Amino acid sequence: MNIVGVYSIKGGVGKTATAVNLAYLAAEGGSRTLLWDLDPQAAATFYLRVKPKVKGGGKSLAHGRTDLDGLVKATDFDGLDLLPGDFSLRNMDLMLEDAKRPTKQLLRLLRPLADAYDTVFLDCPPSISLLSENVFRAADLLLVPTVPTTLSERTLDQLTGFLADHVRVSGIEVLPFFSMVNSGLPLQVGLMERVAARYPGMLRTAIPLTADVESMGIHRLPLQVYAPGCPAAQAYRALWAEVQERG
Amino acid sequence: MHQRFQDYLLPSGSKPRLVATLTQCGWRLLEDPPGLAAVRLLDSFDWGAYLAGAIVEERLEAGKRRLLWHDLSGGEPTLEQLIFDAPGLARDLAPGPVQGRILAAIGVRRLLPAVEMEVETQVLRLLDDEEKTLVRLVIEEYRLSGKEPRRGLASRLSVNPLKGYEVEAQAVADWLSHGFALEPALRPLLAEALTLGERPPGGYSSKLAYRLDPAERADEALRQILLGLLDTIEANIPGARENLDSEFLHDLRVATRRTRAALAQMPGVLPPQVETEFRAHFAWLQQVTGPVRDLDVYLLDFDAYQASLPQSMRGDLEPLRFYLLSHYADEHRLLVEALNSVTMDHLVHHWRQVLTEPTPAEMAPANADRPIKALADERVWRMVRRVRKEGRAITVESPPADMHELRKSCKKLRYLMEFFQNLYLGQAIGGAIKLLKVLLDNLGTFQDLAVQAGHLQDMAARMQAQGLTGTPALLAMGALVADLLRRQETAREAFADTFRGFDSDRGRGLFRGLFHAGPGGADPGAEPGSDPQPDPGHGS
Repeated sequence: MNIVGVYSIKGGVGKTATAVNLAYLAAEGGSRTLLWDLDPQAAATFYLRVKPKVKGGGKSLAHGRTDLDGLVKATDFDGLDLLPGDFSLRNMDLMLEDAKRPTKQLLRLLRPLADAYDTVFLDCPPSISLLSENVFRAADLLLVPTVPTTLSERTLDQLTGFLADHVRVSGIEVLPFFSMVNSGLPLQVGLMERVAARYPGMLRTAIPLTADVESMGIHRLPLQVYAPGCPAAQAYRALWAEVQERG
Repeated sequence: MHQRFQDYLLPSGSKPRLVATLTQCGWRLLEDPPGLAAVRLLDSFDWGAYLAGAIVEERLEAGKRRLLWHDLSGGEPTLEQLIFDAPGLARDLAPGPVQGRILAAIGVRRLLPAVEMEVETQVLRLLDDEEKTLVRLVIEEYRLSGKEPRRGLASRLSVNPLKGYEVEAQAVADWLSHGFALEPALRPLLAEALTLGERPPGGYSSKLAYRLDPAERADEALRQILLGLLDTIEANIPGARENLDSEFLHDLRVATRRTRAALAQMPGVLPPQVETEFRAHFAWLQQVTGPVRDLDVYLLDFDAYQASLPQSMRGDLEPLRFYLLSHYADEHRLLVEALNSVTMDHLVHHWRQVLTEPTPAEMAPANADRPIKALADERVWRMVRRVRKEGRAITVESPPADMHELRKSCKKLRYLMEFFQNLYLGQAIGGAIKLLKVLLDNLGTFQDLAVQAGHLQDMAARMQAQGLTGTPALLAMGALVADLLRRQETAREAFADTFRGFDSDRGRGLFRGLFHAGPGGADPGAEPGSDPQPDPGHGS
């Protein structure tokens, strides 16, 4: 089971769109895929039309009392299942603090699913927290959507600095990529060149900022289903191919 | 692949009524565009997957080729994997969950089509208020391909539950049973489809399972045995001719060997001129099928040969594989010529004619009208004593030829016991065959390794003479020969103990009780395990 965290300290960078579209592509390619919506906003859950309800709430998850398999919902797409998000996940950090081995809960919960899934995507809420640390401990690689702005660059630096300082999570492979790119903005182009030079491991594929991606909320479907030929859909396909190549 | 919750028979033309009724019941419904798939049900010639309790399906749908493993008992979820080419030999399939199961079930055999069908699929999705699919109803209409008029199977409707929505699926299934009064399909569709193929499922086996009557005339029983063996020979000719897999030729050769053993070991049952003529014919068949079988054995064992060498030498053995493959086509051509020859045609047809036409009473030899059980007792017991005598005569100094002779006698004994198995108590004769098999395995290992080592040495000399090999390959073949001979020595060392197991008190008692106990059961005058003619030569 390969665990992919889609993570950024910053919000609004395209994490959920990335997680949903890549999870769809993984399943389409024959991989038995699970997408875990860890964000209390439950946007991935909304996109896939599943009710945002976790039986027992975040508390039972944080304390490892829940059988994760019993919470899984099939999506409308072959090979893609979802662990829905729930508003109670907003207090996940507080709840994790009370748990035994608070940074390994996520991994412990996922282990029983190892035979059922080939790939697990974790759609993470923004911020850096105890939950993030759980993601770092569980994931084999971390995809970091990075909008070409100074603030995004700064949060990427914060993330890499945090990982470097914490030995237990320093082994995780971090794969940043540019997201929500507006190639018409000269400022973004210059910044992308600079960030790419500073992060040579960065993925080459960039996801454009388009209305097609924004309309995922209207269609409530992965981009590949309603606009497979659009530039953003093609970029997600290229991104997934690149991740597989690197992973 | 979605798990099926329940299958129903869907009467022809009832789909519109089903859709209307579901809508009236308040369900939001979405109909996917219909799909068309080409389906082949596959199995080996000897039904390895079916006998392992499964059906293998190859499904071509929407440009994708999938291979599925359906557990016939329904207790296990269906396994599937994507493949890119039509499946053939199990070992050539790409690794995956289905390949693993197939390989375990059919080994070296090839997947052959048993039934070919077209299937039209229509999916009805039952949605919630977010337009999320809660339950899929799948309607499938199967038609057998390649037949005019095309034969169909009753349409099926299956309730396919989605993970996390099982309660909804159960409610729909209950409604279909009670509210819509659909009849549940009691038999899996694919199992039903399998019976419509030209080959009946499980219809071929190379195993012997004759039902003989102890009082039956010996000639009638022997004809039954020989006809069964002829059926096996004929069934395997096309596959051996096309070289579909190595087991066709193997089964053909085993049936030939059994035929020869039956003719030789049951004398005086068929007219003497028939025995003489057909013993010669079947000796010819055994001989012309030998070279390809030898090459098959080397090629099947090739990976094991390589694995027995140190890592650094394994690649050096490749010229040998090339040499074997380059001779294969020539040898197989000669085999096909033999199988297509007038001699073969005459053998098969004339033999069937002889076996199906009764022998005139005046020409019937002495043993023809004896009860088969009495004759079987006599012939098997005679062979038991021969095996025992030959085995006891083998010492550490005995030449390999003596071991070879003993192996041939053991094989004849085994064939006789297998022909007549149902005339004896199942457990007892099963135990006797098992005991003999241990000895045969030891002798077989000894003999096969010796033959292989000898052939490899010959091949190495020929390859060198023809300039087909360099020093590394010769060294690798030398190392391989050394390993085979070492293993042969080990088998030779194990012979004495193995034979002692066969010739133990228990073994002797078992064989005597079965074949020399007299009409009233166990011989009351004999001590358990005693032998009328103890042979002092037992010393190896």
